[in-house]
Amino acid sequence: MDAHPRDPAVEVKHLQRCVSDLISVVALPAIWSGGEPSRIVHTLLDALLRMLQLDLIYVRLKETAGHAPIEMVRFAQSQEYKAQPHELGKVLESWLGADPQEWPPLTRNRLGDRDISIVPLGLGLQGEIGVIVTGSERADFPQQTERLILSVAANQASIGLQEAWLWSEQKRVANELDGRVAQRTTELAGANEELRKEITERKHAEDELKSSEEKHRVIVEAANDVVVSMNERGVILFANPATRRIFGYDPAEIVGRSMTMLMPEAMRKLHENGFNRYLDTGKRHVNWQGVEVTAQRKGGQEFPVEVSFGELTSDRHKVFTGFIRDISERKQAEDQLRESELNLQMTQAELARVSRLTTMGELAASIAHEVNQPLTAVINNASACLRLLANRNLENEVLRRALEGIIADGTRASAVLARIRSFIKKEPAEKNSLDINEVIQEVLALAGRELSENQVLVDQQLSTDLPVVLADRVQLQQVLLNLIMNGIEALNAVADRPRLLRVQSRIDESGDVLVAVSDSGTGFELGVDRVFTPFVTTKAKGMGMGLSISRSLVEGHGGRLWATPNSPHGAVFSFTLPATVESLS
Amino acid sequence: MTSAPIVFVVDDDPSVRSSLKFLLSTVGLHVESFESADTFLQKNPPDVPSCLVLDVRLPGLSGLDFQRELAARKISIPIVFLTGHGDIPMSVRAMKAGAVEFLTKPFRDQDLLDAVRIALERDRARREEDKEVMILQRRFDSLTSREREVISMVVAGMLNKQIADQLGTAESTVKVQRSRALEKMHAESLVDLVRMIEKLKGPAGAIR
Repeated sequence: MDAHPRDPAVEVKHLQRCVSDLISVVALPAIWSGGEPSRIVHTLLDALLRMLQLDLIYVRLKETAGHAPIEMVRFAQSQEYKAQPHELGKVLESWLGADPQEWPPLTRNRLGDRDISIVPLGLGLQGEIGVIVTGSERADFPQQTERLILSVAANQASIGLQEAWLWSEQKRVANELDGRVAQRTTELAGANEELRKEITERKHAEDELKSSEEKHRVIVEAANDVVVSMNERGVILFANPATRRIFGYDPAEIVGRSMTMLMPEAMRKLHENGFNRYLDTGKRHVNWQGVEVTAQRKGGQEFPVEVSFGELTSDRHKVFTGFIRDISERKQAEDQLRESELNLQMTQAELARVSRLTTMGELAASIAHEVNQPLTAVINNASACLRLLANRNLENEVLRRALEGIIADGTRASAVLARIRSFIKKEPAEKNSLDINEVIQEVLALAGRELSENQVLVDQQLSTDLPVVLADRVQLQQVLLNLIMNGIEALNAVADRPRLLRVQSRIDESGDVLVAVSDSGTGFELGVDRVFTPFVTTKAKGMGMGLSISRSLVEGHGGRLWATPNSPHGAVFSFTLPATVESLS
Repeated sequence: MTSAPIVFVVDDDPSVRSSLKFLLSTVGLHVESFESADTFLQKNPPDVPSCLVLDVRLPGLSGLDFQRELAARKISIPIVFLTGHGDIPMSVRAMKAGAVEFLTKPFRDQDLLDAVRIALERDRARREEDKEVMILQRRFDSLTSREREVISMVVAGMLNKQIADQLGTAESTVKVQRSRALEKMHAESLVDLVRMIEKLKGPAGAIR
């Protein structure tokens, strides 16, 4: 309080003003409510500067959680010294020290070219919030009323700032919460959508399952095959209606009974052993997909079935479902097919043999001659010996020569017959390792007479290092003889050029054995395509089967037989046979 | 006919050839063998009774073609055919063309020897006939043209008077010419002359 007495009227006015200022200061929080700290400080500074007619007022707020430090300053309009808040802050620190909490309650310093009274007031109980510094050039600053207003304002500011901070923190938290809520909401919305989708899908799946179960039920009910399920003990749990048709049992009749009742007696033990072994070891000893077994009908009749089965584990119990197809008809058809294939093979073999006999028939004259020649010689020699004996005119040397001749000719005749017999014998084809050149020689011997009588020159071009072929000797002879006879036939009409028949053997590009019979004859009168057609022939007595049979014989050996024109005249018939691994040498 | 007859064997089979030679040699026949018709044709046949033993089925020229070829070359030699499988048409053709025999191999030795004997006999006879015709021909060639005219009319059965009328000469002249011709022909009688003229008109004769 001022020491010097005052005019009471002035005093009352002064007090009234003070009360009015106090009320303003106390009302400040109402303005601040919900405001930012910077705005609070702002209004506080303006209010105090005006109320107390200060020359400067400065505020420094310390850094608080989430809020940067604030420095702010106001100068009276009349004040000539002006500075930025942080400049003034530095000036104050140079005067009063670094820590505002240590600053003295009142100092008088020179600012600019005037002295100024500086009064710092801490904000918060221990100045932890910051400091307000008021300055006035008046020497009596601060008066008691001014101190009161300042301290109340500082208190109000502290409370207001704390509230503001609190509020701002709440707002931040609220914002953060909002953010989190929004995020979570988005997530939930997403999850919800997922869930909805999942639900839709599940619904769909359920529908499908339902409809597929329905479908499966219909399929199982309507199936032609028997569908039957059993548990781990081999007890039938289910059987579809086909059971009645195929096994003769009503489904209700067999459900609850052993699966073995559908098997013949002989199989039951085997099945049980195998099934138990599977249950013990988990190892399948038979194919589960399409195994052919024998089943037994209600009346005891056995029939072939094809069984496939699957396993399903439900509630730790295994259920086995079998699909049983009656294959009696299929088996019968297979048997018939096998039988007719066998018949076909036999027919083909017979046809081949007939063809051989036909070829032999064509050769008959030559063969008769070939057998007759040695026989004639034998008889002549023997007759001559008898005559000389009768005349007692037989010398030992003459007899020896005659007998040697007889033996040689007899052997020769029998060799011819053996060749023919092996050629026309009725024996199943037998494949052996053969030297194709040997077969060629044998056939040239068979046809030798025919060749010489028709004045056909034979040119043999046989490769010496051929691999062996796995073939039936007689069938190969037949093919070769057929080709050679055809060649002779084609050459018969030739009078203006040599009648040349070339027989060639070699290895072809793919490593197969190739045999080619080429002639300089009349070539393909009916076209090269038609020569293999059955019953097409240019021969007066021919069956037209030779080449088609030859082709099927070669193909039966895994080879090919084809015809090409020869240049400049005639035809080439070639066939290949796969070489076997073993070599002749 | 003092020269020994020869049998020619043509067969492509060496053992048949040698066995035939052996068999025919047992009856003292001389045999020459050939492996083909061509090699036989290259040889000039000797002027002795001979025959051919021939296989029908020969490489190259067949037996029947060979027979035709010989006829075309006017080589007349009796043939005994041998065949592995003689069919009837073939044997008929061969026989019509003058074959002596057609034997199917193998044959009985006697059949062959008989056939060869017949063939050689036939050849000998033909050779004698040929020789006789040749002599008659030489005698006939020595006749004058008027004598040939007269005897051809005599052989035709005309009387001397008829001949004289036709030729416009005297009957006595015809008589002289006729007896001179008979003398030149060495004919002992009219009948003998007729036989001679018939022979000359035959296949080997000159009168056609």
